[in-house]
Amino acid sequence: MTNTTLSSASQDVLDDAGARRDSGILHVGIDLGTSRTSVSASNGARETLASYVGYPRDVVSRKLLKKDVVFGDEAIRHRLSLNLYRPLAHGVIDSADAARAEANQKAARDLIGEIVRRARPRPGDLVYAVIGAPAQATIRNKEAILEAAKESVDSVMLCSEPFSVAYGLEMLDEVLVVDIGAGTTDLCRMHGTMPEDDDQITNTFAGDFVDDEIMKALRIACPGAVFTKEMVKAIKEKHSSVMERIEPIVIELPVDGKPTKFDVTDAIRNSCRMIIPPLVEGLGKLVATFDPEFQSVLKNRVLLAGGGSRIPGLPLAIEAEMKSRLGAGKVIRVEEPIYGGANGALKIAQEMPDEFWAKLK
Amino acid sequence: MHPIQTARSDGPVQGIFSPREIERQMRIEFERAQRHKIPIVCMLVAVDRLAQLQDLYGHESEQEILRSAIRVLRASTRDSDLLTPLADDRLLAIFPHTPPDVAAVLARRVLAGARKLRFERDGRTLGISLSIGVAHNQHDGSLSFDTLVRVAEEGLAVADAAGGDRFVETELYQLYEQRRQKDAERAKRQAEFAGGEPAGASREDRLLELLTGEGHDVQNLKGVDVDTVVRAIHSLRSVESAAATAGGEGDDALRSARERIDVLERRIAKLTQILGITEEELQRVATMKGIDLGIASIYRTVQGLSAEATQRARKVAMMREIFEANLEFRRQLPPEEPRPASSA
Repeated sequence: MTNTTLSSASQDVLDDAGARRDSGILHVGIDLGTSRTSVSASNGARETLASYVGYPRDVVSRKLLKKDVVFGDEAIRHRLSLNLYRPLAHGVIDSADAARAEANQKAARDLIGEIVRRARPRPGDLVYAVIGAPAQATIRNKEAILEAAKESVDSVMLCSEPFSVAYGLEMLDEVLVVDIGAGTTDLCRMHGTMPEDDDQITNTFAGDFVDDEIMKALRIACPGAVFTKEMVKAIKEKHSSVMERIEPIVIELPVDGKPTKFDVTDAIRNSCRMIIPPLVEGLGKLVATFDPEFQSVLKNRVLLAGGGSRIPGLPLAIEAEMKSRLGAGKVIRVEEPIYGGANGALKIAQEMPDEFWAKLK
Repeated sequence: MHPIQTARSDGPVQGIFSPREIERQMRIEFERAQRHKIPIVCMLVAVDRLAQLQDLYGHESEQEILRSAIRVLRASTRDSDLLTPLADDRLLAIFPHTPPDVAAVLARRVLAGARKLRFERDGRTLGISLSIGVAHNQHDGSLSFDTLVRVAEEGLAVADAAGGDRFVETELYQLYEQRRQKDAERAKRQAEFAGGEPAGASREDRLLELLTGEGHDVQNLKGVDVDTVVRAIHSLRSVESAAATAGGEGDDALRSARERIDVLERRIAKLTQILGITEEELQRVATMKGIDLGIASIYRTVQGLSAEATQRARKVAMMREIFEANLEFRRQLPPEEPRPASSA
């Protein structure tokens, strides 16, 4: 029987000195993504939410929403009543626009706080987190992530996202990991040791790029139709494919207020295919700079992860492109694209010796 | 509301006693039980979240659910047991010649029966659960039929507040009620004698009011912690000890301190019971969500790689590299500015 105050079930347990009482450790792995943020925790909790944070615009919207901050799909749903932030761009906290940099930093802090809350640490648990960051994030990017996380966790480490995917699947030898996110596609060469800068390539031909391309293609394929970025995203998530033979993709878009049907099969397929050439080009670079004896093995062990890997037909299309450019290629997709990064980060968190965590507190 | 206010006439119960008839029968049965010291058990049953189900699926569905709940109760009872619907869609069951320990078995059986019920609505399969308040007459002191039902009502409220799908047996409500009345009378007399504010306005008494007052609800107990109650008892024990030493003049103080200790100890018993229910509920919710609450703590002892881990040496090296990369990165960061001291 515990001796806690009844009302404090969701509060931190503090000792007399005001420090959090060390009654246990919750390890969490966080995949902080441009589009979705996912967490896997050592208590079995797994949660994912869209990386959107919204703050009520005025007193009326606050009263309506009954919250000071709204996250994920709920934030997207109520976007008209909110100052809406998507705090990450290209896998890191968006600081391109100085005016919004501070707000993005706060939104990222709140987002991490929310995802840690959703991992349901018990009152008094120490929370040790490994957060996946893009393979080639700058020091400034990493600092911003660290800054955003430190309020919500007791100790935090950053780790390359593709590495965490590979580590989670115990694929540490001769593997090419491709993590297709919304903001970036990270390529990483695993060869039994920690990947170094030369082993990693990041490009921005990822989910958001596909959205933009579909948007451009729809403007041509659907004359007179009006649509938003959110609508395009929804169309992509429902119909995306790179397969040769697919059912015609017919969508309904408003033209002068009247719902009108358009066949957008080619527009969608061609837009989705545009990420393949730069991806294979990156793979080619990683293969070409590797020990010639093992290049063939590497080409035949390509691991596809991340939300973008769910595009139907993508593994086969990449294989075909690899065969054409590199002479061979074998691609497998991880079972859980959404949680692959978070699961790997959790595994790292759990296998990290306790004294290392303590030193980084 | 009177505890056995009758149900509406278009209720779901067909083929069992009418509410008026059963009330008369129950009173007769209860008086007989009291006279001959026959054990009698009273159960008050409610379908969890019935109002929401009615909102979602309509009155007909609600009636069907109630009819099914009655069938479950009927299947678990004997012909000689009495069953009737009350207002607010609760069901009252009286089990003559039933000792308290059998009541628990009976309640579990009813709960299990209800869990198996399934309803098809709008293409969905619905399950239901029940909350049950259980009371019996095997107490010292007098007990009326209405009080017995109120005791069961108390248990039902606690079961419902704890999330439902459970039964709560309440035994001491009557004693709490009597003691509360006595305390209130004593406080009033003291206030009249002192000519000032009524006594009993201390934090402890406010807590007591929360614990033993009407509308028992876990929400009422926000801010109440066992430590506070235990501290209060210690302080009263010292008063008791001082009064015992003083003798004569100290008799009143001694009596008063003992009474208050008694009150506080009952309060602890109640808090402990509610804490237990709350913890059970947390455990149940966690189980439903597939969360093992113990892992977070257990993991402390199995932290790091086991000796049998595959590729252990390589992984150990990788962990060190990740750690050192993070450490190096922290060193490159500008030192944190000290936080301004908070003003007093």
